[in-house]
Amino acid sequence: MDECKVIIMGFGSVGQGVANALSMKRDLIKDKTGVDIKVVAAADSSSSAISQDGLDEELLVKTKKEEGKLSAYPEFGSDKNGADVLDAVEYDCLIEATPTNIKDAEPALSLTLKAFEQGKDVVTSNKGHLALKFKEVVGAAEEAGVEFKYEASVGGSMPIINFTRDTLSSCEIKSIKGILNGTTNYILSRMTSEGSEYEVILKESQELGIAETDPTQDVEGIDAACKTVILANSLLGIDATYSDVKVEGISNINSQAIELAKKDDYLIKLIAEVSPDNLQVSPRLVKRGSSYDVSGTLNMATIKTDLADEVSVIGLGAGSLETASAMLTDLISILKNKN
Amino acid sequence: MLKKQIGQIKVIYMRMDLVIELLDSPGQLIKALEPISSLGANLVTVIHKRDYKNDNGNVPVQLTIEGEHEDLKNVVNRFEELGFTIIEMDGVVKKEKITTIFFGHIVDQDLRDTMDRINEIDGVVIVAFDIKLNGEEKSTALINIEADIGLKQTVFNRIAEIAEEKELLVINEV
Repeated sequence: MDECKVIIMGFGSVGQGVANALSMKRDLIKDKTGVDIKVVAAADSSSSAISQDGLDEELLVKTKKEEGKLSAYPEFGSDKNGADVLDAVEYDCLIEATPTNIKDAEPALSLTLKAFEQGKDVVTSNKGHLALKFKEVVGAAEEAGVEFKYEASVGGSMPIINFTRDTLSSCEIKSIKGILNGTTNYILSRMTSEGSEYEVILKESQELGIAETDPTQDVEGIDAACKTVILANSLLGIDATYSDVKVEGISNINSQAIELAKKDDYLIKLIAEVSPDNLQVSPRLVKRGSSYDVSGTLNMATIKTDLADEVSVIGLGAGSLETASAMLTDLISILKNKN
Repeated sequence: MLKKQIGQIKVIYMRMDLVIELLDSPGQLIKALEPISSLGANLVTVIHKRDYKNDNGNVPVQLTIEGEHEDLKNVVNRFEELGFTIIEMDGVVKKEKITTIFFGHIVDQDLRDTMDRINEIDGVVIVAFDIKLNGEEKSTALINIEADIGLKQTVFNRIAEIAEEKELLVINEV
C-alpha cells in the first residue's frame, strides 16, 4: 500500500482537528509508514465535499468555518451526507468523528457497520456505539477482517487503550481507576481552589466553552460512564454495557463537602472505576499529592496490573488537535500493520 | 529476649507474635511459612484453624517466630511483599483509617442510629465527625473511622446500606 484514501465523517471540532493534523503530519506519516494520505471525502451533518483526486484539508476547515457547511467547498461540494458518502467514493479507511449519541448510537453505528461491510478499516472518536454495543461492533470488525481502532474515545490525547494493550502486554489488568472527564475535573478543581459553589463555576465554564450549553452528559457522569464501559470491554474483557455502570455525577457536590475534604487533606474528584466487581462513576475522595491529584481539564488513569503494580497516565482529555492526535496514532498503526 | 553464645559472637534472639491473614485456598499456609526459614528465622508456633474465618472470608493464622531483629524484620517485609495482611503484631492490632463524606438530611435521618450502626461492627470505631449544617437544607459531614485491618470492605458495605436507606450521597475514598 502506498496510498491511503480516507473519509472524515463528522466535521465538528474533532473532524476539523483531524483535517488540520493530517495536513501538518502528512510528511511524518509518509516517513513512518511509506504511505501517502489522501482525504477523498469529508462530511458534516448535512453535506459533504467529495473528490476521488483528494481534497485540501486546510480548505475544508476554512470552508466549514466560513460557510458553515462543506457543500460550499469549491467545485467538489455536495449535498450527499451520511451513509451515501461511503458509496460515493472509493476509500480505504473511515475516520469517524460524529457526535456521541448515547440513546441509539446513530449515526456512528450505521456508518461504522457499513464501512466494515465494505471491507474498510475504521478509526473512531465516538463513544456511543462502543458504550451501547461494544461486542456487536467489535465482532463485526473481526468478522469483516478489518481494523477498528478507538483510542480517541477515551481520554482524548491521554494514551490508555493502545498503551495498556501494547506497552503493558505482559501484564494482567486488575483494575483501572481514573478521571475520565475533563469538564467535571475543571469544575471541581475550580470549586476547590476558589471555594465557589457548583452553579457559579458551571456557568463560568459554559461561558468559557469548557462545559456545553447542556452539560448533562458531563456533569451527571454519563460521558465518564461510556468510557468506563469501553475500558471494561477492551482492556479487562468484561462484557458490560452502559446500563451496567453505577453512575453518580457531581451536581450534588457543594462547597461545604469540598471544604470538609480539604481539612483532611483530600480532594473530591469524579472517579471512574473499572474492575471485575465494580463498574462505577462517582465522586470520590482522593489524597492531595496522590496520582489522582490532577487539576483543570486534565484526565488521568491508574492501571493496576499483576506484574507492574500501578502505572498512571495523564493527558488532555479533550480538544480538537489533542483528540485528533489519538486518531492519527490509530491510523498510523493501521498503516504500519498493512505494510 | 534470649542470649545465646555461639563461639565468641553474642547474638540477640527475639521473639515476635504475628497474626496474618491468608486466603482460604490450598497452598497458602506453605507459602507463608516458607520465607521464615529461608530468611533465617525460626518458627516457634503456628495456629491455623481453617474453619475459623474473619468477616472478609480470610483465615487468620497466629505465628510466633524467633530470630535476630534484622531477620524478623525481613520476614515481616516479605509477608507484605507477598500480599499477606498482618493484622496483629506483638499483641497490637493494626488499624486502618477510613474517611468518608455524607451529604443529605443527616441529622433528620437519625444521626445517632447512623453512628451506632457503624460503631457496632466489631473492631470499628468512629474517631471523628465533622458536620456542616445548612439550615433546613441538606447537610454535609466528614467521618473518620478506624477499623481493624481487613474490615474496610465491611465498613464500606455498612455505609452503602445506611446511605441507600437514608438517601444520603456517599463520597468514599478512591
